[in-house]
Amino acid sequence: MTVEEFRLPDVGEGVAEGELVAWLVEPGDRVEEDQPVAEVETDKALVEVPSSYDGVVEELFVAEGEVVPVGDVIISFRVDGDEKSIDADEADGPDGEPVVKDADEVDSGAADSTTKRAFAPPSVRRLARELGVDLGAVAGSGPGGRVSERDVREHAETTGSGNGAVDADDGNSSGPRPVDVGSDERRSAVKKRDSGAGSDGRASTSGPEPADRDRTLATPATRKFARELGVDVDEVPTDETREGEAFVHEDHVRAYVEASTGVKAGTDAATGTESGVGGSDVGVETDPTPADPATDAPTSTADTVSADADVADGSEAGSVDGDAAGDADGTAAETIPYRGVRRTIGERMERSKFTAPHVTHHDTAEVDDLVAARERLKPKATEAGVTLTYLPFVMKAVLAGLREYPILNSELREEEEEIVLKEEYHFGVAVATDAGLMVPVIENVDEKGLFELAAEVSDLAERARDRSITPAELRGGTFTLTNFGAIGGEYATPIINYPETAVLGLGAIEKRPVVRERSGEDGFLGDDASHEVVPASTLPLSLSIDHRVVDGAVAARFANVVMDHLEDPLLLLNE
Amino acid sequence: MVVGDISTGTEVLVIGAGPGGYVAAIRAAQKGLDTTLVEKDAYGGACLNRGCIPSKALITASGLAHEAGTAEDMGIHADPAVDLSRMMEWKRGVVDRLTGGVEKLCKANGVNLIEGTARFVDDHTVRVAHGGDGQGSESIEFEHAIVATGSRPVEIPGFDFAEDHVWSSEAALAAESVPDRLVVVGGGYIGMELATVYAKLDAEVTVVEMLEDILDPYEDDVKRVVRDRAEELGIEFRFGEGAAGWSEAGDGGHLVHTETEAGEESSYPADRVLVAVGREPVTGGLDLENAGVETTERGFIETDDRTRSAVDHVHAVGDVSGEPMLAHAASKEGIVAAETIAGEPAALDQQAIPAAVFTDPEIGTVGMTEADAAEAGFDVAVGEMPFRASGRAMTTGHTDGFVRIVADADEGFVLGAQVVGPEASELIAEVGLAIELGATLEDVAATVHTHPTLSEAVMEAAENAQGQAIHTLNR
Repeated sequence: MTVEEFRLPDVGEGVAEGELVAWLVEPGDRVEEDQPVAEVETDKALVEVPSSYDGVVEELFVAEGEVVPVGDVIISFRVDGDEKSIDADEADGPDGEPVVKDADEVDSGAADSTTKRAFAPPSVRRLARELGVDLGAVAGSGPGGRVSERDVREHAETTGSGNGAVDADDGNSSGPRPVDVGSDERRSAVKKRDSGAGSDGRASTSGPEPADRDRTLATPATRKFARELGVDVDEVPTDETREGEAFVHEDHVRAYVEASTGVKAGTDAATGTESGVGGSDVGVETDPTPADPATDAPTSTADTVSADADVADGSEAGSVDGDAAGDADGTAAETIPYRGVRRTIGERMERSKFTAPHVTHHDTAEVDDLVAARERLKPKATEAGVTLTYLPFVMKAVLAGLREYPILNSELREEEEEIVLKEEYHFGVAVATDAGLMVPVIENVDEKGLFELAAEVSDLAERARDRSITPAELRGGTFTLTNFGAIGGEYATPIINYPETAVLGLGAIEKRPVVRERSGEDGFLGDDASHEVVPASTLPLSLSIDHRVVDGAVAARFANVVMDHLEDPLLLLNE
Repeated sequence: MVVGDISTGTEVLVIGAGPGGYVAAIRAAQKGLDTTLVEKDAYGGACLNRGCIPSKALITASGLAHEAGTAEDMGIHADPAVDLSRMMEWKRGVVDRLTGGVEKLCKANGVNLIEGTARFVDDHTVRVAHGGDGQGSESIEFEHAIVATGSRPVEIPGFDFAEDHVWSSEAALAAESVPDRLVVVGGGYIGMELATVYAKLDAEVTVVEMLEDILDPYEDDVKRVVRDRAEELGIEFRFGEGAAGWSEAGDGGHLVHTETEAGEESSYPADRVLVAVGREPVTGGLDLENAGVETTERGFIETDDRTRSAVDHVHAVGDVSGEPMLAHAASKEGIVAAETIAGEPAALDQQAIPAAVFTDPEIGTVGMTEADAAEAGFDVAVGEMPFRASGRAMTTGHTDGFVRIVADADEGFVLGAQVVGPEASELIAEVGLAIELGATLEDVAATVHTHPTLSEAVMEAAENAQGQAIHTLNR
């Protein structure tokens, strides 16, 4: 029987972390190899993580809702026999791959990020130790991935340092080992020096039975926290262990003090340093329901508090911070985690909008004939089991436009100083989902018929909404369509799905007034009288282009081709 | 209790006031810990008294004498007369100023200083015997101990340091006269530094080395530069020979006998023989077993990355805790020990520890060699700058050697450097900083370096690694 740790495998291209949405097993459950144990949401998709072992679940290291960097230990198994006692790192091989359909595209190099040498200056390495962060798991934002102080702090905040504590004790030589403050004499000396409120008060009340261990594992921050409250960590009851040793974190200390004294000792803010530093043990940062303002307040102020506390180390910072918490009580606003799909969308939008100078060209197609054409084809489509929307027609019209102006089906590669004209026509279709915007890709639009496109769009859209879409199905687009008109509206300024060059936004097809030449009249009536306003089905178009790659005139000409094909759908027969 | 045996208590007890111990004591005191430092001999340890500092003093002085006498090319004609006893006096002056400074710093930081020899009584008590017999002793109870007792030169069979003509490195640094003929046993860095000193002071020097080359851990092209220069200075090398013993020679001198592995014997006439075959830890006499601490077969105390021995509250730093036996490593360990005791998250997590050899020319290394980096799985980029292409090197009259920089080819991170040449011991610091900060070749190359200086060679080497050097052909 051996205990094997299992690290979060790389669940998709470029994915550095995932939110553990749900555990599918509990400690004590028997699992078989390949049985899914957890659902992890990455910024691309929801995947199931399978076990690499036959055995019994020993411990879950991550709470549901927590964001876990790839390579962090999430679960341990008690494994029977020797044949399965493979090294945890090896477990990141094929066995550790998540269940996603395009398994061949999953990077099976996997979670070796923790063993990789991390490039970070000494001050940052020290901070990482202080926060219990495994540097190897931090994605560095500096050149070549160099890790900065901010990277470490952000990592600690997004993961919670409970993970850090796990890393600290899993044999990583550069990680911190709990500091044993020393002999009994020293501990008593320390207690005497402290305020005494904690220890004295505790002694006189009938609190919980103090544990009486000789040795306790805890992060330095937890020890400091305990010292500040006058608590001996060896006395703090805990049901957690690391490597067979009792493990105490801040929650335990706080619970012990509260139970002993009946006083809500050490509010979060009273230990400002801990909240910012090791104190994410408390889990406030990762709590998806920021309901309790008292615990929530330090989260938003953690950075400043910890910075101050570092400087004022040793002073009576507690009372000062306590006041701060009081102020924060009434003003806590609801916060929504900026993570997962939301953050990916944000990052993509930021990149696109700040990289490609956007120009949006607007025009309107008169689509009475298209509406009629669709009406005629609809019964046929229904027979074929397909819901025929306008989107396939638009895709074909765009295809016609791109064939004439291939520059809009391109990608600018800044580093190579070249514009690549794509030979494929893979169209992204923006889909609004509960989690946010997703853009599944319909490949080879030029090789597919209207019904085929219709079927594929609805399939992909549905799977994007229920999150069963695979990362591969969200990649590889060359041009994107966004049908905001399905919800309402005429014009928009769509953001290009970078590094593509253009995106076409579709408004709602509605009857709108249009000016047409009066039929059957000659020119004697003059300009005004020779025209009339009539209702017609119109489709407003919003075409955004990357002005680095293509100029407005070309965009307008492209739009004209698209409109020609939408206004006279017979032309689509050619596509 | 024995008469004169008084008992005191301290939070942190440091044994040994060398560069590991005194640094640990000062840092512990700075952290507000009640700290006691026990030293049996002289503050500053081997480094200040019998190693780094005195040897550098003599290297500089002998180098100056030699330079002055060999600068005809520059139009300087001189035949310097060396007064060795005055040179030694000057050296002592330097040492005294430094050791006095260490003592003052300790006191000013509130470290309790105790002179004497410490032995462990149990895992929380030492007994310190003061000076000689009858001077009393005292027991000190401690909560944490830092053992920093250092190392001493290794003796080899047949060569007793007690003999007048057998020198340890320490004796060679306190010589009263320059021997006419000096045999140096051991071609490591200590042997080579002292061989150079005495060659420059006009001794006939023969280096006997069991291996096939000098300076074992260094790369061949690095060794080559130093060896060529040593031969130019008249140093003779006998490789593959081990010193077997000595005998009296008729002329009042001695004969040093050597033997090859195959059993071939040779002997070399000598007035003094310097044995410099390494250093061994000083752990005997500490009664470490009373504290529950075991030593390795060679006498070292094994420690973790926070300098703790198997007994958590007993730390060991410096030479006594094993390689690298370097003063600056000891100081770093001392700081980590003190901060760990103070409950801080300190650890020995430096990416690289630089090393310097003060031969002529000097060697400075830090981090990985090309081979190390390849073994560690990096795609390696290497750049070099020979000093013969350096304007400043030419103006110093010393153009032997090169700067080599080793980096990760993918991201450009600097992984190591080997410098052999003038001021290599100083030049290496820049690369050490680059490694610790995670700097890339481009960072180093794009940093403007002062002209004309030797440090430009570091920048050029980085440029060369990128295929963009200006003053060398890019390989």
